[in-house]
Amino acid sequence: MPIGPNGWFEARPPIRVEGGLRARSRRGPIGEQWWSRRFIDLLEDICDPGRLARGRTYARRGQVLDMEVAPGAVTARVQGSRPAPYRVSIRIEAYAEGDWADVERALAGQALYRAALLAGEMPPEILEVFDALGRPLFPSTLDMSCTCPDHGVPCKHLSAVLYLLAEAFDEDPFLVLAWRGRARADLLESLRGLADGEPVDPLHVPDVPLADRLDDFYSPAASLGRLRDLREQRVAEPAPPELLLRALQPPPVTVRHRPLVDVLRAAYRELPLS
Amino acid sequence: MLVVHGAWVDRLLALWAEATGPLATTAGDEPSRHPFAASAAELAAAIGTSAAGAAQTELTIRLPGSPRGPLPSPESGLPAAARRPRLMTWRVPTVLLEPTAALTLLESLDAAPEDEASTDAAAPEWGPASSLRYLALVGDVARDLVRRGRILPQLSTGNGVPAACWAPVLTGSDAAEFRELAGAMPPVCRAVDGERAAGERAAADVLRDALAGLVDGAARRAMPDRLLAGHRAGPRHPLADRWLFALTADDPALPGAKPADVEALDGALRQWLASAYQLHGPVRVCFRLGEPAEDEDAWVVEFGLQPADEPAQYVPAARIWAGERLPGLPPRPDEVLLAGLGRAVRLCSDLYPALQQPQPTELAVDTAWAYTFLRHGAPLLRAAGYAVNLPTWSGLRGLGLRLTTRPAGARADELSLDDRVDVRLGLAIGEQAIGEAELTELAGLDVPLVRIGGQWVELDGRQLRSALKAIEERGTGQMTVREVIREVAAGGEDDLPLVDVVAGGLLGDLLSGDADRRLAPVPTPDTFHGTLRPYQERGLSWLSFLAGLGLGGILADDMGLGKTAQTLSLLLSERAGGRELPATLLLCPMSLVSNWQKEAARFGPSLRVYVHHGGTRKRDEELAAAVAEADLVITTYGTAARDVEALASVHWGRIVCDEAQAVKNSATRQARVVRAIPAQTRLALTGTPVENHLAELWSIMDFCNPGLLGTPTRFRERYREPIEKGRDEHAARALRRATGPFILRRLKTDKSIISDLPEKLEMKTWCSLTPEQAQLYEAVLNDMMGKIESSEGIERRGNVLATMTRLKQVCNHPAHLLKNGSRLGGRSGKLARLEELAQEIVEEGDKALVFTQYAEFGALLRPYLAAHLDRPVLWLHGGLPKARRDELVDRFQSDDEPMLFLLSLKAAGTGLNLTAANHVIHVDRWWNPAVEDQATDRAFRIGQRRTVQVRKFICVDTLEERIDDMIEQKKALAERVVGTGEDWITDLSTERLRELFRLGPGAVS
Repeated sequence: MPIGPNGWFEARPPIRVEGGLRARSRRGPIGEQWWSRRFIDLLEDICDPGRLARGRTYARRGQVLDMEVAPGAVTARVQGSRPAPYRVSIRIEAYAEGDWADVERALAGQALYRAALLAGEMPPEILEVFDALGRPLFPSTLDMSCTCPDHGVPCKHLSAVLYLLAEAFDEDPFLVLAWRGRARADLLESLRGLADGEPVDPLHVPDVPLADRLDDFYSPAASLGRLRDLREQRVAEPAPPELLLRALQPPPVTVRHRPLVDVLRAAYRELPLS
Repeated sequence: MLVVHGAWVDRLLALWAEATGPLATTAGDEPSRHPFAASAAELAAAIGTSAAGAAQTELTIRLPGSPRGPLPSPESGLPAAARRPRLMTWRVPTVLLEPTAALTLLESLDAAPEDEASTDAAAPEWGPASSLRYLALVGDVARDLVRRGRILPQLSTGNGVPAACWAPVLTGSDAAEFRELAGAMPPVCRAVDGERAAGERAAADVLRDALAGLVDGAARRAMPDRLLAGHRAGPRHPLADRWLFALTADDPALPGAKPADVEALDGALRQWLASAYQLHGPVRVCFRLGEPAEDEDAWVVEFGLQPADEPAQYVPAARIWAGERLPGLPPRPDEVLLAGLGRAVRLCSDLYPALQQPQPTELAVDTAWAYTFLRHGAPLLRAAGYAVNLPTWSGLRGLGLRLTTRPAGARADELSLDDRVDVRLGLAIGEQAIGEAELTELAGLDVPLVRIGGQWVELDGRQLRSALKAIEERGTGQMTVREVIREVAAGGEDDLPLVDVVAGGLLGDLLSGDADRRLAPVPTPDTFHGTLRPYQERGLSWLSFLAGLGLGGILADDMGLGKTAQTLSLLLSERAGGRELPATLLLCPMSLVSNWQKEAARFGPSLRVYVHHGGTRKRDEELAAAVAEADLVITTYGTAARDVEALASVHWGRIVCDEAQAVKNSATRQARVVRAIPAQTRLALTGTPVENHLAELWSIMDFCNPGLLGTPTRFRERYREPIEKGRDEHAARALRRATGPFILRRLKTDKSIISDLPEKLEMKTWCSLTPEQAQLYEAVLNDMMGKIESSEGIERRGNVLATMTRLKQVCNHPAHLLKNGSRLGGRSGKLARLEELAQEIVEEGDKALVFTQYAEFGALLRPYLAAHLDRPVLWLHGGLPKARRDELVDRFQSDDEPMLFLLSLKAAGTGLNLTAANHVIHVDRWWNPAVEDQATDRAFRIGQRRTVQVRKFICVDTLEERIDDMIEQKKALAERVVGTGEDWITDLSTERLRELFRLGPGAVS
């Protein structure tokens, strides 16, 4: 059984790839962020550091053609020595919608998490939220497979993908959440919805393009009768007509040496009779 | 006919119009010109006074269409040419109205024309398109904002020259309404973009501009001429002085102002406006008033925050100061709380001590403080966007008068307004009677919030004093029944309402408001042909009772419950045993004259009826003689207005107003006319829920029992304002007590009514022809009878069928026969009746199926009805693909909005399940009852839980009535004879046909 220079089973050298996913080479080791550190810890439990380092070399050569993180599964194609690329998948349990609703409620419950997540950060305490719900964020085992003939797990193709994955996590902590079943946009949106996100213009109304309304171009979208109904049903709190003048901090405007608000008050009181 | 559209461009209302008839001016062949738009001059002439002096120009607009021309609006009734329309740019002549003129025009759309004569005959006829009616609604919103003071003065700096203007403040429910309105905006309003190339504006931007313009116009109209006495501020005066002057001046512009001054003033005013929007932020400061424990005086006001859209999520101040971070709260909730408390002190200075603490959580207060807070602070804070939680009893229990009567004599079975009764005035708090001694004791307490029997009650000093005075002055005594009724109708005094009335005997029955159930029933008179249902007999006994007392009433049963039959039975019952009585004058819309005549002949053939209407109506002595010989005189509101003097000189036993909505506005000429005719008693018939429109209720009540509810001003203060503005339950109950004796309203959904009703109520609706229809009818008949006479066999058959088709088209509408796209309003008796019925149906919140056998008539009706009802009118015909039909059926079945479903009999006669409808109208007749019944069964099938009302429209004294008679006769003989559609008619002899088709003298009313 031929053994390659790096100690791996190698019948033939892998076919060289142009434009594959390359591991980054400029920055030093990954794992500077706590979440990617956690993932690396996990990987080191599964395979020895040497294998991981070799996966990195393989990855640096760009042999990983593509990689996709989807709920429950990371899939990738890795160019080995055979013409057809090997298919790699790394599976974990994706959490159900209901579980995520619990998580989101718990996260929204503390402004700290919300603020951090919305700012693109991943506060370490978030792990406790997941753990408390019995739904750990990081897996303790990985269900891995590769279509290569190598029986060793992880094979070098898997190692290369794991390495790239750790790197991707380092850059975007939300990928871990995506792997568990929640895309970044969805998570942030529901966090915003559960709390006050950015201030919303109370007068904002989404528009339907005119081209989509050619059939009823001349007609209101709700019948005028319905609009009148709504108007009649609306209960305005009884209020004195000069309420705004009283409730607001008066503007520093004087007219002929009298405060503006004093000048207006009498006229406002007569408004209901108009 | 011009169909006038509206859009908003900068600060101006832009009007443009489609012309449905021939154009006065040639549009020319320029490709980008709207080919059937009216010229600006033509448009301005049609609009009349509000367009006087308005700018006329040309705007570009984007409309769907093809290069040959844009799609016409549905209101125009013009055929759509393009199959696959796309957006294209067109130039349209436009009239631009200043906001004030715009407001006047938009307001005039809602007001019904007073009577036919008031419109200028020379001006081209015009009607508003949806876009303009939509803007009229925006105008209502603008006026309402101004009336409620939701405006602030600003300095606009948009167009180079600074100008003074009024800006709307749209917060809270006003912002919600803004979003609804913008979301519903007709796309055509967004397709005009001023001088710039026609674009696609955001609905919110258009609405913002329109509201700003209309609010500015309405505010200027509402404000006094000068906000500040003194001389006009000239260019040398400080900018603020000039600006204030310009806020009400004709010219709002402030030319020559120094940029630095403008910036300073503008900045201050903008900040002011911005702070108004903060009042109704997503998070509210909340005040909770907690009542003290038994035997204590220790009240407390707690502070907290709550999200505006989730009031249940209340966070007490203590937790906020503790630094707790909570979902739904802003990053610094403590700041929000503090700022909110600070603003609250401006409205309720009693809260000031709270701000003296470093971290206020609550304020301990005494009873007097709590009372002031309940009365003054709380409503103000609520109005300013604060959340205020008060104990559940607040505002509910107050001091009121309780009136107890006992008949003075021994008569129990009779009642007259002059009878004297013993009366005792007492006091009550809520439901609980309270003695004078107790009251005197309370008056000595000097604290306006007291605990009585373990419950807190708000009592103010003024109220206590007037209560004591009232008891002192008129504690016990005697009154006439008339005085008691007046007392109840007046509902007590402002600060001492009448909260309870205890009366026995017939007076008690009357005042109870359900006299119809308590009175001994009056049996159906022998002379009444037909059977009164049990509830109708109760109605009859109520009508007889009121009439016997000389009181007027409002019979407001739901449509279809038989107001006509009950009224006729009253007339018959009064005349039982040949009693001679002065005649009843019945006023109704023209479209109902035939119906009354027919129904009177059917139910009460013994009644002598005289119809006073039309050019041949009797005058002077002849009229007097006719009236003297009649039991029932039927006339229209229009005729009554013209003949008011002659009618007022007659001694009437009763005046009945059918469709009493006609007198709902006391200021209209019709209402004045009706009041000017004296009568012993009055009766109003209406199907609309009068109790929901209080101004109308006053007007109709005042017609029935003049003066009983007092002046409109007094009525507004005592009932309308507290109910409409404050949702005051006391006032609502008092009003029910005051008017209940005079209103009988049964709903078709009442359990006791349903059990009296069959599952299907079939009615014939008798219509008349307009003179135009009659002329056309004669013309068609003359032309076609000749052809029938001179033809044979198949050809004759074809001629007979063609004649019938054309005559039926004339009965539907002249435009249906002529197919010339002419206007629809006011030219057909059937259409008038359909409009009224449809209006009633949607007002009752119901849905109706309207069948016609002519697709082209349905196509005419749809836009017309949609525009007049302001409710969806769906239209299902053979030309629609299956998917579209299913969509319509789904919408009709699932949408909870009242609406009409127009259906072509051929396309929709079978198969569909339309049980959401509880009304079916057959506008024209298919001479095969089986086909009609099948169509009717779209609504009347499994899943239908309500009584289905089926109405068949028949034009009186035309072929429609005669064929209906034949069907009825044949039906009686054998169902199957008529099973072959219209064919059996073609075999009739020419003589029989002539008789069948003839136009009788009763056709035109």
